[in-house]
Amino acid sequence: MFHLFKKVHILKISCVTEYLFLAIMLNSIPWLTAIILLPLVSAFAIPFIPDKEGKTIRWYALSVSLITFGISIWGFWQNFDLQTSQFQMRETYAWLPQLGLNWSVAVDGLSMPLIVLSGLVTTLSLLAAWKVNRKPRLFYFLMLVLYSAQIGVFAAQDLLMFFLMWELELVPVYILISIWGGKKRLYAATKFILYTAIASVFILVSGLAMAFYGDNLTFDMVELGMKNYPMALELLAYTGFVIAFGVKLPIFPLHTWLPDAHSEASAPVSMILAGVLLKMGGYGLIRMNIEMLPNAHIKFAPVLVTLGVVNIVYGAFTAFGQQNLKRRLAYSSISHMGFVLIGIASFTELGVNGAVLQMLSHGLIAACLFFLTGAAYDRTHTLMMDELGGLAKSTPKIFALFTAGSMASLALPGMSGFISELSVFLGVTTSDAYSDAFKIVVVFLSAVGLILTPIYLLSMLREVFYGESKLSLDPNFLMSDAKPREVFITACLLLPIIGIGLYPKLATSTYDVKAVDVAMKSRAALPVVAETRSTQQQAHLPSVWTPAMVAPQLPNSSN
Amino acid sequence: MDFSSNIATQLNAGAILPEGIVVVTILLVLICDLIVGKSSARWLPYVAIAGLLASVAALWLKWDATESLAFLQGFNGDDLSIAFRGIVALSATVTILMSVRYVEQSGTSLAEFIAILLAATLGGMFLSGANDLVMIFVALETLSISSYLLTGYTKRDPRSNEAALKYLLIGAASSAIFLYGVSLLYGLSGGQTNLDAIATALANGDGGESLGLAIALVFAIAGISFKISAVPFHQWTPDVYEGSPTPVVAFLSVGSKAAGFALAIRLLVTAFGAVSEEWHFIFTALAILSMILGNVVALAQTSMKRMLAYSSIGQAGFVMIGFIAGTDAGYSSMIFYLLIYLFMNLGAFTCVILFSLQTGTDQISDYSGLYQKDPLLTLALSICLLSLGGIPPFAGFFGKIYLFWSGWQAGLYGLVLLGLVTSVVSIYYYIRVVKMMVVKEPQEMSETVENYPEVRWSLPGMRPLQVGIVVSLVATTLAGILSNPLFTFANNSVINSPVLQSAKLTQPIAKAGISETSDRPIVQ
Repeated sequence: MFHLFKKVHILKISCVTEYLFLAIMLNSIPWLTAIILLPLVSAFAIPFIPDKEGKTIRWYALSVSLITFGISIWGFWQNFDLQTSQFQMRETYAWLPQLGLNWSVAVDGLSMPLIVLSGLVTTLSLLAAWKVNRKPRLFYFLMLVLYSAQIGVFAAQDLLMFFLMWELELVPVYILISIWGGKKRLYAATKFILYTAIASVFILVSGLAMAFYGDNLTFDMVELGMKNYPMALELLAYTGFVIAFGVKLPIFPLHTWLPDAHSEASAPVSMILAGVLLKMGGYGLIRMNIEMLPNAHIKFAPVLVTLGVVNIVYGAFTAFGQQNLKRRLAYSSISHMGFVLIGIASFTELGVNGAVLQMLSHGLIAACLFFLTGAAYDRTHTLMMDELGGLAKSTPKIFALFTAGSMASLALPGMSGFISELSVFLGVTTSDAYSDAFKIVVVFLSAVGLILTPIYLLSMLREVFYGESKLSLDPNFLMSDAKPREVFITACLLLPIIGIGLYPKLATSTYDVKAVDVAMKSRAALPVVAETRSTQQQAHLPSVWTPAMVAPQLPNSSN
Repeated sequence: MDFSSNIATQLNAGAILPEGIVVVTILLVLICDLIVGKSSARWLPYVAIAGLLASVAALWLKWDATESLAFLQGFNGDDLSIAFRGIVALSATVTILMSVRYVEQSGTSLAEFIAILLAATLGGMFLSGANDLVMIFVALETLSISSYLLTGYTKRDPRSNEAALKYLLIGAASSAIFLYGVSLLYGLSGGQTNLDAIATALANGDGGESLGLAIALVFAIAGISFKISAVPFHQWTPDVYEGSPTPVVAFLSVGSKAAGFALAIRLLVTAFGAVSEEWHFIFTALAILSMILGNVVALAQTSMKRMLAYSSIGQAGFVMIGFIAGTDAGYSSMIFYLLIYLFMNLGAFTCVILFSLQTGTDQISDYSGLYQKDPLLTLALSICLLSLGGIPPFAGFFGKIYLFWSGWQAGLYGLVLLGLVTSVVSIYYYIRVVKMMVVKEPQEMSETVENYPEVRWSLPGMRPLQVGIVVSLVATTLAGILSNPLFTFANNSVINSPVLQSAKLTQPIAKAGISETSDRPIVQ
């Protein structure tokens, strides 16, 4: 009897495994839906987990996050084809057919690495948030919701769903900043939500305008990209998207929320903010602005390059003036995001490639630096650099890791930042789209920013870690050095940085095909402009455009 | 024999079966209260709820009835009216759930309260289907007079008295204005009271564009705007909301408003079809003013009820976008939004009632630190408010998206933009309350919250309150994500209603709006 039962049981199990195996073979597992919904659904179990000291919940949240990360890696490993620039692993379910809203997710070379990045950074930030004393349940709940929203933004193929995910991430971040933040956290959180909410209005408006144009009502991003919009509409939609994503990225005049939010948020939240959320802006710019609106992109590209240069130089100079460690890092983020803008607007494979790599590499570097700042703050309880000093003696490991992170941030050769910034430079200098004078000015000014970066980062290191300790602490107080957990987190971020720096193909191979495709598409629109321009007076051309872009007049064409 | 069957089909009394059930329930409540006495208060609310739910079920059975016109065309029980009658009845149901404890604590009789509330519901339900000027006015007055009584129900509270007096004076004036407008309409159409007959008479006669019709239109709109509290006819709202018993406010903000919108659709689309350009223009102005004033003034409020009052003005502005759109999608987005608004707004009011029952205050600053003391209340109120603000994945997000979607489809770009911007403004004041409750540290807790007694659900009247909170919480959370059936319902109720379908044929504006977006010439 028992034997029989066992047999049946084994049969059952083998049936299940066989089914699973079949499902994997047939590629019918909804991987993306699974990784979007898993954190969200498991977040709702948090209120019901019995927990006295907050330990069960953090293990729960961490394991959910790890499992999601594992599933996404496994799924991409199994199903992602590196050789195609098309969308893959597409899953579409009708959600509200009356509105044209579909639950439609897919990945391509652009979104896949970003999903992996957000998985990595979120998992590590959950590990970084090991001691949440205040309202731990709420904290881990919000972190898991935020995780879902991030993946959702990168995977969404439906513009309405993209907007929904984009908005979904607002409230968790707001509450995360306003409860577990620094002194001015309420101000920072309110500023964050107002900026982002107002900006996201533009996504919806541009999206509606594009969706309703033409005969077919659709929110599918691929189909939206295939519509032919009139120039005026395209320019308006482009402006809307630039404003929305420019707040997130951030682009110069819209950046003011960032230093406040980043410096007031607690270290794990800052890691996600700087590591992933800024990349949503860059991702959106490539996905919507370049891929869907290539004709407007040609008109706007010089503006983007100019804003990128302003970002680099302004961010670098402002970072100098900051005495608060996190604010300095925040302005350095602004400066680094300028390279993304320039790369996007370069019209070359190399430039777009560099922009994507810059997003990935900055995601890792910023997360690493913000985490280490948090670790330093846990020990000193201050972020003001003039109150710090001589930390290298008491905490040599943190010092070493911080130095490594800063080196990566200042684009030391052999680190990922170097590769990406170099590619952007090469991309913009080899671009045919701009006149030589314009390129020279751009390269020169960004080089100034590049020189400033080591200066402010090294002077930060000097002030914080060298010299005598200025902390008015008890002399007998022994500051503990980095714990294995902290070293582990930093290592997880630094290893890919160095890995990519030494062998860039590690990262670039994932999106190379896609980046080439994007650059080709954006260049494909160029001749159209050139033709229309050639009919105009040559003298009226803006000086940023290279003469090569204007189709030469054939000698007998005037007759 | 032949005559009587002819009369029976003309009357088609089955169409008002849901209202009949409500009437029976009113009688039942009153008689039981008389016979059994005060001890009946324990089970009377459930009788009323059962009656209302039975009425909703009866509405369900009437769905897609072949013969919708009843009482010599005085009442139209089409699917559009069913949707609105359902909203009114459901809002009354939830209102009763939240009012049991509140009314008992105020020391007044519960049975009378329920009877008057049911009378107001009856008025609202008849108003949603009324197809005849006399019928409209009688239903409107049933709703209004019951509402006056309800606002002054806690008669020992001077503020409630003040609210009732204000509401009565302004309401009576607006009723008179409405009546005057309607009487002009009666005259202009050559003595017709039926809406369809008026429309044909106006279309055939030469009075189509006369000054009289314009005056009638303005006066009718003034009366309607009073009901839906559109700016500038909103002045009564904050004061009445602040002073009257909170369950009454909840009913006024949902049930009474829904009935007002139903009246607006039926009267303006049918009878004023000839001047649809004019009333679209007037409603655009009302929507703009309501969205701006409602949402901006709400920023400055310190009392929760006043804030919800201004927010309901703003929300009415959003709903008007769907009305102005005038398309199938526009009307169904109105119905969809009102359905969702029912749950989220009543959920918010239920939470406010629970808080004020526990503490006796409704100042926003008194909510600070509530998360520590009452997580369920905090969760429910936060989700309802965030949903009102249009944050995904809650129901309000989908409702607003649908409204804006249909507005954009009809070419109302400016209105949609304004709606989006003002809903960002609204996020600010909704999230302020959430911030108060969730973000504040234990040491920043307000004095009221510090003395917050533990909620005892076993007290009489608390169970229904709890049910109300949980139901609206679940509905607000899930109705958005799983909103497909609701969408289908809202769409069908519009498509199956001949009133709106025939109106669209005679009304070129809405069609022009669509074609403008769909085949606009390509500008090079």
